[in-house]
Amino acid sequence: MGLREDIMTETVDQMPLRQAVTVSPEISAVEAISLMRETQLGCVFVVDDFGRPIGKFTEREVLKLVCDCVPLDGPVENHIVPIPDCGCVKMTDPIAKVLKGMQETRLRFLCVVDDKGKVVALTGQKGLMEYITEHFPRQIKVQVMDSKLHMNSREGA
Amino acid sequence: MGRKRNPVEPGEFEDPLSNYDPPAYADEMERVLCETEVQQMRIQPLACIEKDATVQDALDMMKKYECSSVIVKDAGKAVGIFSARDVLNKIAHDPSTRPKPITAYMTQDPQKVYATDCPAKAINLMAVGGFRHIPVLDVDDNVVGILGPRRTTQFLEERLI
Repeated sequence: MGLREDIMTETVDQMPLRQAVTVSPEISAVEAISLMRETQLGCVFVVDDFGRPIGKFTEREVLKLVCDCVPLDGPVENHIVPIPDCGCVKMTDPIAKVLKGMQETRLRFLCVVDDKGKVVALTGQKGLMEYITEHFPRQIKVQVMDSKLHMNSREGA
Repeated sequence: MGRKRNPVEPGEFEDPLSNYDPPAYADEMERVLCETEVQQMRIQPLACIEKDATVQDALDMMKKYECSSVIVKDAGKAVGIFSARDVLNKIAHDPSTRPKPITAYMTQDPQKVYATDCPAKAINLMAVGGFRHIPVLDVDDNVVGILGPRRTTQFLEERLI
């Protein structure tokens, strides 16, 4: 099977997924940023008492707040962005839905939820790149990094 | 004394020059990733700033152009990249960094691709190297574009339909 067919037929649980970081709406933006830095993730999901996503707080929001000099000690719920329907996927959804969801909504991160709507994982552009890389490692992984188009000095006579 | 060599088992070695057949791809998407060029992807617009700028200058530029990274240039060459991840890790918790030079907070000497490289190489850098934004260079090493994850997913989605 080719890559295109695999993306259409394989499901989200076959992609590289990352552990999602979830926070309650009351914590401060500073605490959320500290969590993002500790976990090296660009996104935290703000969830309700049942673990269902209310919104997300990403490095894009951090950038806007820093650019506008907004104090970061207020609750994170003041700065979150709601997650559209296509921003959530289930483990059994095709990978094509991830690609479509990211492109339609300009999202970098998608929330993976279980049948009850509870956040179970995080995926996104990096996960998709890793999936493609694993799909045909010979062509993608065997690339010379830092290669130049031409030599810096003459070789030979 | 000469170096000792392990004897090569017969049939173990395959001459890499013995097969001149073009590579076979399972589908069009794989062929496009390996045989087209980065310059066929959307690599512009791009935001650039000179290396003597401050962090505040870079933040202003990112706000103005609504972009999440700026390339730091010196005489047309990319010497660094400053992205939203740098803001998260180095700037957000410390407002005193704003008037300081961008060179102290940027990611130095980022990995780059040439406009004539294949998209697979850019994806390799993103997935294996973990670089999200990759400057695109021409043959003289001048910056001509930038490739980010959104542009890459757009390129893939266009070929999926």
